[in-house]
Amino acid sequence: MLMLIWKNITRRRAQSALTVTIAMLTVMVFVTVFGVFQTVNQGLALSRKRLGADAVLIPRYATADGSDLLFTAIPENIYMPAEVLEQAKELTGIASMTPQFYCQTLALSCCEPGEEARIIGYDSSSDFILQPYLSESSQDGITPDELIVGRNFEDDDLVGYNYLVLGKKFKVVDMLEPTGTGMDSTMFMDIRTAQDMCLESEVLREDWQDRDPHDYISVIMIRFADGVDPQAFVQQVEESGIDAKCILTGDTISSLQSQLDVIMKIMFALWAASFLIAILALVGRFNALARERRKEIGLLRAMGLKRLQVFGLIIGETCTMALMGGILGSAAALCCMNPVIHLLEDAFKLSSSVWTGPLALLCGGFGIVLAVLLGFLAAIVPAWKSASMDPQAAITQGEVN
Amino acid sequence: MEICRLEHIHKDYRMGEVVTPLKDVSLTVHSGDFIVVEGPSGIGKSTLLYVMGTLLQSDGGTYLFEDKDVSRFSDSEKSGLRAGKIGFLFQDSALIQALTLRENLLFAQGIGQKKDPAQADELLRRFGLEDRAGFFPYQLSGGQRRRAMAARALIHHPALILADEPTNDLDEHWSLEIIRILKEQAGSGSAVVMVTHNSRWAEEASKRCRLEDGILIDISQTAAI
Repeated sequence: MLMLIWKNITRRRAQSALTVTIAMLTVMVFVTVFGVFQTVNQGLALSRKRLGADAVLIPRYATADGSDLLFTAIPENIYMPAEVLEQAKELTGIASMTPQFYCQTLALSCCEPGEEARIIGYDSSSDFILQPYLSESSQDGITPDELIVGRNFEDDDLVGYNYLVLGKKFKVVDMLEPTGTGMDSTMFMDIRTAQDMCLESEVLREDWQDRDPHDYISVIMIRFADGVDPQAFVQQVEESGIDAKCILTGDTISSLQSQLDVIMKIMFALWAASFLIAILALVGRFNALARERRKEIGLLRAMGLKRLQVFGLIIGETCTMALMGGILGSAAALCCMNPVIHLLEDAFKLSSSVWTGPLALLCGGFGIVLAVLLGFLAAIVPAWKSASMDPQAAITQGEVN
Repeated sequence: MEICRLEHIHKDYRMGEVVTPLKDVSLTVHSGDFIVVEGPSGIGKSTLLYVMGTLLQSDGGTYLFEDKDVSRFSDSEKSGLRAGKIGFLFQDSALIQALTLRENLLFAQGIGQKKDPAQADELLRRFGLEDRAGFFPYQLSGGQRRRAMAARALIHHPALILADEPTNDLDEHWSLEIIRILKEQAGSGSAVVMVTHNSRWAEEASKRCRLEDGILIDISQTAAI
């Protein structure tokens, strides 16, 4: 029986190829949508988990996209007076807060990162953002000539190496665990050192002119005390007269989640439509095939094949073709998944590194199961009609194909 | 030994008007019989074979196969009967197009019993098809296909062989050879019921019948006279 299934598929090569292609395209769309959906959801969950801050204070005038700051730590050249930090201490409901100073983004083509590297000054005494990703040795803070780098800088361990940044030599004392955010492409130094560099570097000095970088910070990351109403905190910031505005991470995530939910719903609706079209196309094809093969089916019945065996034969053929389409479609989708995910990461500033092997296997597996289901659903009626045909009528009325 | 028995079989076709090819057909088939059914085209000879082959359910009468009432058989039991005890040689060319001749034979054999490639090769040799074993049906002439169908009908040693104009498309040599092989099968314990227009083959029969107005008439004695 298996031999007949395979021979029937290979005999009608053009028709089989068409069936395989329909299944392949349907599965490819599904796996892509499903994979993106999973990645986006996990990316959001990861962002929520990794963020560490419940709110961020940024300069009132800043037009920086909150999600840029919150999710990927993409630095913006935005600054506010350092007194804001003191003023913020007057606010209630804060469990901890830490300032950060965005120094510069450098194109380090000469060096290992190869792409862009950001320089951020952080306050090790109050920091809670980097802490979860640091090794024990650097959790107590770093000296002015020490540097912590993200995981994207080098595959090998850079700890112990010297790094020349804007003419100043630093010793790498730690590499962050992978964060899946822009922190992976960031150099962290002491906040005071970062401010010093703005004066010492000829490149950066021009931007500061007569201003003293030591009088400025870029953002204040805030973690709420238990039971704080985030909206009430925003209200409190606005009413306090502080020269800063508050961005709630939860709001940003929720907003992004809502946008992505809509996009995902549209994508799934489009996929459902394509699934329906594929079923209809395959039902039409299998019906035509059943008509073409009436005499052959009658012959099989005359030779003693039972109804269920004829049914199994046709279902076996369609499911085998669908399975082939499923494997090809899943493979094709998995191949183009990375570019699609990168596109979404760029568009939505999502955390990366959640597109993992197990997730790829899950998506591919679902795709293959779906393909077989597609083949089964499309073939069940034609197969049952064929199996239920009166054998004598099938023989006398059918045409030999 | 009795293989099957038709008792007052009645069959109607409703195609706008009612056509009754079998009004009251009775026939007993024994092991070793070589029965020829004659009659003009469209009279219902093939219908008779389909009923005997359990491919068509009669509307009245009783059909016993090895003393069992076939009308009480489930579809699955009828399939089992066809796979094990009945061999068809259809009027039209009917082979599985996706399989080679050898595979056609082995597939048919495998439905009801264990496959025996040596037996398939022997049958192909008997029907002069040994050099066409790996050919697909569409690569053969009409006569070669007819011989292949005959080989397939015999592969599982059926108790009852139903042959519908088995010598169509065959030259003189292979027509004689097919009749000889069918008679040989009957001689070895099977029974053959053959439908034909050709009175020459009818003369080879152990029993001759004519289907007229839906009634099967034994004309063996008349024909002999």
